[in-house]
Amino acid sequence: MSYFADKHPLVADIFSRYPDSPQGRRSALMPLLREVQDAEGFVSEARMAEIAALCGTTATEVRSVMSFYSTYHTLPTGRYHLQVCSTLMCSLAGSDELWDHLVSHLDVQPGDVSADGRFSVQKVECLGSCGTAPVVQINDEGYYENVTRSKCDRLIAALRQDAPPPPDNPVPVTVREDGRQMMATGERVGASIHDRGPLPMPAGAGGEA
Amino acid sequence: MKVTIDGIPVDLPAGTSGIDAVFHAGRDVPYFCAHPYLSPVGACRMCLVEAGTPRKGKDGQFELDEATGQPKIFWMPKPMASCTMQATEGMHIRTAKTSDVVAKAQAGMMEFTLLNHPLDCPTCDKGGACELQDRAFEYGYGASRYGFDRRHADKHYALSDFIILDQERCIHCKRCVRYFEEVPGQEVLDFIERGGHTFIDTEEGGLPVGFQGNIADICPVGALLDNVARFRGRNWEYEHTPTTCTLCPVGCSIVVDARNGRLERVVAGENRDVNEMWICDAGRFGHVFATEERLTLPLVRVGGELREATWDQAVDAMRQGFLGHGRNVGLYLNADSTLEEGAALVALAEAIGTPSLDHWPRYAHTPMGTATLADVATADGIVVLGADLGEEAPVVELRILEALRGGLLPAEFAHAHGTAIADLRLTERPARQPEKLAVIGRESRLWAHAGIRVSAGGPDILTRLSRPDTPELQAALRLLEGAERPVLILGADVLNTADAAFSAALNGLAARVGAKVLALPAGANSRGLGGLNLVPGTGGLPYARLDGVGAAFLSRLDPAAQGLPGRARGFTVVHDTHLTATAQMADVVLPAVTNYEKRGTTVNLEGRLLPLAQAPLRAGEGADLIRALVAVAEALGIRPPVRGLRGAQTWLEGRYGLRLADVPEQGVIQPPRPPGDAATGVSYAPQLWKPRMVPRPERRGSGVLGREARTELWELPMAPSPQPGGDD
Ligand code: SF4
Ligand code: SF4
Ligand code: FES
Ligand code: FES
Repeated sequence: MSYFADKHPLVADIFSRYPDSPQGRRSALMPLLREVQDAEGFVSEARMAEIAALCGTTATEVRSVMSFYSTYHTLPTGRYHLQVCSTLMCSLAGSDELWDHLVSHLDVQPGDVSADGRFSVQKVECLGSCGTAPVVQINDEGYYENVTRSKCDRLIAALRQDAPPPPDNPVPVTVREDGRQMMATGERVGASIHDRGPLPMPAGAGGEA
Repeated sequence: MKVTIDGIPVDLPAGTSGIDAVFHAGRDVPYFCAHPYLSPVGACRMCLVEAGTPRKGKDGQFELDEATGQPKIFWMPKPMASCTMQATEGMHIRTAKTSDVVAKAQAGMMEFTLLNHPLDCPTCDKGGACELQDRAFEYGYGASRYGFDRRHADKHYALSDFIILDQERCIHCKRCVRYFEEVPGQEVLDFIERGGHTFIDTEEGGLPVGFQGNIADICPVGALLDNVARFRGRNWEYEHTPTTCTLCPVGCSIVVDARNGRLERVVAGENRDVNEMWICDAGRFGHVFATEERLTLPLVRVGGELREATWDQAVDAMRQGFLGHGRNVGLYLNADSTLEEGAALVALAEAIGTPSLDHWPRYAHTPMGTATLADVATADGIVVLGADLGEEAPVVELRILEALRGGLLPAEFAHAHGTAIADLRLTERPARQPEKLAVIGRESRLWAHAGIRVSAGGPDILTRLSRPDTPELQAALRLLEGAERPVLILGADVLNTADAAFSAALNGLAARVGAKVLALPAGANSRGLGGLNLVPGTGGLPYARLDGVGAAFLSRLDPAAQGLPGRARGFTVVHDTHLTATAQMADVVLPAVTNYEKRGTTVNLEGRLLPLAQAPLRAGEGADLIRALVAVAEALGIRPPVRGLRGAQTWLEGRYGLRLADVPEQGVIQPPRPPGDAATGVSYAPQLWKPRMVPRPERRGSGVLGREARTELWELPMAPSPQPGGDD
């Protein structure tokens, strides 16, 4: 079953961001990958081939690009994909124990999805929030910081109810076309040059000079 | 452009790369990723040199060194990769020979490359011919300070039936990836993952058969190996015989590696004018017939059954058999036979006085070609008419793709200097120009690259091209008319029905648009043999009418398998390397040798004379055609007019002025000689891979399991191991 077959406007929109040339079409690779992963939690081989056909390239190349980024998944992930930072600061703050606890508690190994389809786990490198180690990121939503054992248990309990508590901090994500950064929540941060109008000029400023 | 290397001044054409400059000066620099026919990428960082240039001051004059009064050299702060660096006017380069910085950097790079390389040399097929081994010896520290576990990965990863990858050995030079993108234009191989985890893989379910084998040649280490030859011998045990492939009319340069009388491996040779250094998969992997199930003794039919015999007994049997047939004898040979063998056959036919002689495959009429492969590669408009190049002449396909990519690699560097490395003007992922190619005929592999595709056939297709009746044909004609160096390539679908009128129409069209013509001959040497007039004369019967002659001699032909009559009316002698269907029906079977075991000369599709050399293969009492014909002459009671290679060459020189004794390895183009016309009675269906060429491991007698058995073995005990999410 094809993923993009009934999404012509979306595909057209993605391609419209790149030059209308063979090279330009290939550039659409990343947003197409993102689209599939956001929707399905991972990119299967069938989807790689589909994206390759859309971009006019080969599935080999799609896989090559995709495998360069550890944030694309080739295996299914759960509804909540827990990414546990295992780099130095978090490690010093007990991320190893946190990981062991998570894995045994959820009874899931990296690459697997728990039986109820809710959980998958992954060890990741520094998430850039070392000051609040240990850190767990859930999906692309945000960071759960200073995750102690009891916080971890509360988090899991909430996720089991499908009521995830709001993250301590959202993950800053992409830069939009207008050059502005957005949080995963959709909240706009920073400024864009397009927002800039002419500076308000008080009447008469500058005078005759 | 003046450049100074290690104090040696040299004069070079502008645009030369640093690494070429070093070689030109007679100095050495180690390299892994650079390759004479691939774009430079600077992936391996082995080719480090120190480089510096003079600098102009504000006054436009070179800043001078106060001490010497010479232009002052401003050295770049770090060693540079010379393969991606352009040499410039006045540049100074220091190699490891004069610079400790370079020597240390290269040794460090070597140590780094070897960090994850397994110590496999004793069991590695590349051992003894490995660039990594050699460079490590020449430029390395000789010891590693890395005390930890090396990377472990799959050591027997089959990328296809023919190519097996040892992921641990790969040094990530990217030659194989660039090869597929730049030469056959297939993006089927790429780096997966990144950093130390990187490996080569394909997502297309295997490598496409066509030109995949070349990556085993260019891999600088033993990561990509020829699966047909794997574990069959060490490099120093092989007898290397440079010769010419005669599986198709391209005539690629190959090196035949034999060990203990067995042909174990074929690798590509280099001939810039013919195949550059690429060969097709049939030429590389399809050699197994030379070693398997060979016929080594003459066979004579006694009491209805073929029995092993001596040559003398075979000659006696032939003497009996030929009795009473007089001149009614047909002589037929395979069109991949050498010119010398053809000469011996023509001479014998004349001595007998029989008009029934023929070679197969051939066309009744072959238009004269005028284009060379270099013309194809430099053309700016190509029309392929009724040809399936993958079956007829695979390497022509690569030369066409070369033209679409912008033409020949500039030869000025290659010829002037010893070891040329790819030109800096070559780019990775070259933009191809499909609009320069029109393919007319049935769908084939080349379609994917053609800007104009016309699905059409039939004998009138040439007429339709000269007076186009569809927009596509109009576009194809416009391509020919608009091009400055157009080439028209003709294949079996049109040549099967060609006649003199066709040739006239073809010449008319070619003259009108100024195109050169490449007519693909049917057999490897049918252009040469046709030129000897080795076709049925008046009253003679062609190969397909074998059942019409009284007695026949067939050399390496198998009409029975083709569905043609497999016997002459009275008596049949078959000279072949294998007990073919026809041989099984024959009265006398003489053992032959393959073209890997022959000396002689062949003529390729351009009309280029190319030499064959003899590899030491075990052939029992097998004899080449010249010697077999001597036995036939003896049986007929005729003094054989040509007794050996020398005699054949003298005959050819006497009659056609051909000098074959000193044909250079690269070949020489000879002026075209129009082949004689004669009806064939059957049309030719090109097929590159003949059944006996397909390698089947279980037949190789090595105890290596067949593919099915191997797959079963793999699937037995191993459960798929979980992949860590972080690396998925
Ligand atoms: S497999 Fe061989 S040719 Fe390909 S990148 Fe690795 S070392 Fe280079
Ligand atoms: S292209 Fe023809 S001559 Fe060259 S290797 Fe292949 S079969 Fe042999
Ligand atoms: S080490 Fe865990 S967020 Fe930086
Ligand atoms: S970097 Fe590999 S040869 Fe120059």
